[in-house]
Amino acid sequence: MDPTVLAIWVIRLLFLGILYLFLFFVVRALLRDLRSAAREPVRELGRLVVLASPSGEPPAGSAFRLDSVTTLGRDVNNSVVLEDDFVSATHAALTYRGRAWYVEDFGSTNGTFVNGHQVTGLVAIAFGDELQLGEIRLRLDRPRE
Amino acid sequence: MTGQVTRQATGESTTGESTTSESAGRVAGMAGPAASRPVGLDTGLRPRFRGRELLLLVIVGIAFTAGSVSLGAEQRLLAEQLAGQPERLVLVPADAGILVVYLAALLAAHLALVLSGRRTDQVLLPAVGLLAGIGLLLMQRLPQRLAGNLGGLAHTQLVWLLIGLAILTILAVAVRGDAWLRRYKYTWAAAGVGLLLLTFVFGRDVNGARLSLSIAGVSGQPSELLKVILVVFFAGYLSENRPLLVEESTRIGPIALPPVPYLAPMVAMLAMALGIVVIERDLGAAMLFFLVFLLLLYVATARVSYVVLGVVAFIVGGAILYALFATVQERIDVWLNPFADPNGTGFQIVQALHAFARGGILGTGLGAGLPTIAGRPPIPALHTDFPLAALGEELGLVGILAILGLYLVLIERGLRIAASAPDEFRALLAAGLSLVIGVQAFIIAAGNLKLIPLTGITLPFISYGGSSLIANSVIVGLLIALSDRGPEAKPPAPPGRISRLRRRLGGVP
Repeated sequence: MDPTVLAIWVIRLLFLGILYLFLFFVVRALLRDLRSAAREPVRELGRLVVLASPSGEPPAGSAFRLDSVTTLGRDVNNSVVLEDDFVSATHAALTYRGRAWYVEDFGSTNGTFVNGHQVTGLVAIAFGDELQLGEIRLRLDRPRE
Repeated sequence: MTGQVTRQATGESTTGESTTSESAGRVAGMAGPAASRPVGLDTGLRPRFRGRELLLLVIVGIAFTAGSVSLGAEQRLLAEQLAGQPERLVLVPADAGILVVYLAALLAAHLALVLSGRRTDQVLLPAVGLLAGIGLLLMQRLPQRLAGNLGGLAHTQLVWLLIGLAILTILAVAVRGDAWLRRYKYTWAAAGVGLLLLTFVFGRDVNGARLSLSIAGVSGQPSELLKVILVVFFAGYLSENRPLLVEESTRIGPIALPPVPYLAPMVAMLAMALGIVVIERDLGAAMLFFLVFLLLLYVATARVSYVVLGVVAFIVGGAILYALFATVQERIDVWLNPFADPNGTGFQIVQALHAFARGGILGTGLGAGLPTIAGRPPIPALHTDFPLAALGEELGLVGILAILGLYLVLIERGLRIAASAPDEFRALLAAGLSLVIGVQAFIIAAGNLKLIPLTGITLPFISYGGSSLIANSVIVGLLIALSDRGPEAKPPAPPGRISRLRRRLGGVP
């Protein structure tokens, strides 16, 4: 076989080979990402991020993993304890039903607000919505992987 | 200047590498042992080594060099055969200038991302770099006077690519918040429709489709930018109204239909975009908008009824368009039987099918396929609508599968970014942006292969064309910015009275 033609043929296949080498490394990286995500099983259904908290407990910027039922209030038996003078002992609850989150006010003294609107009864909320209980502002975030 | 930048980056890597590689897989959860890192929430601009991206970019560099040498050697061989000279083996790249400039641009984009110090995706840039590199090789291989006014096809494409890479990098580095997209979604939507109306009134006709708009000597395809705007609007609207769209429904007897009132703004927006696009005969864009709309609706609500309704609407709409427009009729007839008129309407598709067949499994090699007839390639619009047919001939089935694999990588990364996004809007935006690229690649690839009727739309990052390159660069730049996982996990707050008490009681934080 003509060496020139042979050399060109080899380079051609080399180019195709390197394309697959690239894909191999990418797929390896993707699988590694997936495995490391799978190693930490996600149990949470959502996160509650503290945006503002004048009393400093919980501190602004902290976050809570949410179970399917999460109670909020000043009492230490709540799943999320809010140390704020304007929050009732058993203030409100977040519940995950089917495909969406709901918030329910337990007849608190100062009420619960979603994006500035007061909650009456059971109200559906979306990820990214802001909750206000007393002087504490919270945001519901999607679960982290 | 460049030397300084490099030194800075590599100097940081000795300290930065260990933390990045360890924490790359781990998510910055609040439970993570983060005490080892010094306290510093506002780390600002702190270079962060991106090892995975660098490795992949090195492979891209080798691939592009090999492809360029393969093309150069083949072209030289053909030229010598034509001139009747003795054949010598000369292994030089086809165009060393393009090779060096393009690889330097990729490296510069990488360094900018390193310097920005954000924990963002490291796979998207190399994948895009490889796709665009393949496109650039194809443009070098085609007759240079096909298009472009900066010294030929390849040079014009290179200039657009450099602008695209710059936009991608700036967006990936600079975009932090999303309020400017989320809050002004109706403004964006209005701007998009306005842009289309301008095209409709002042646009220029290309092959019976009014696609191109010229402003101050620069012409572009507004529908390419509109696809980005539409995704932003859909993501903004859906993230606000998701609970309503999931829970409510309109009932007609026993059938539960989606809640029509809450859907109205989106449907109106879609109808407006589709109407204008269809009147302009830009069928590819119409199909792209509709499919992305449907996919996003499904991603947001997980309701199968939307998909069923959408498919029914698609079939009905298709039938109406078939009855009303001669263009649509022609496209579908050609798709069903291109050999009925192989030298007329079916010419493009027949030639494309022959190109795929000539390519076989391994292809003819870059530069060896498609003998040009009288200085023109046999397939019209090869550089914009049929790059896959040209690549199918020269790289074969193996090469085509690799290219499709690269698009899959883009989609996978986008959906991963969506899955780990902190809120609904970002999740839907990331999903929508990656699906736009995926669906567009599918529409034109399947059109080239006669799997679905052919519609004129570009193959993302490979086709020739500034609007397409820039719109897709905006998409990938936004995706990289959206993939930011934020600064490292914060150190736990100093234990206060309450948290001490709670720990004693054994409760969760």
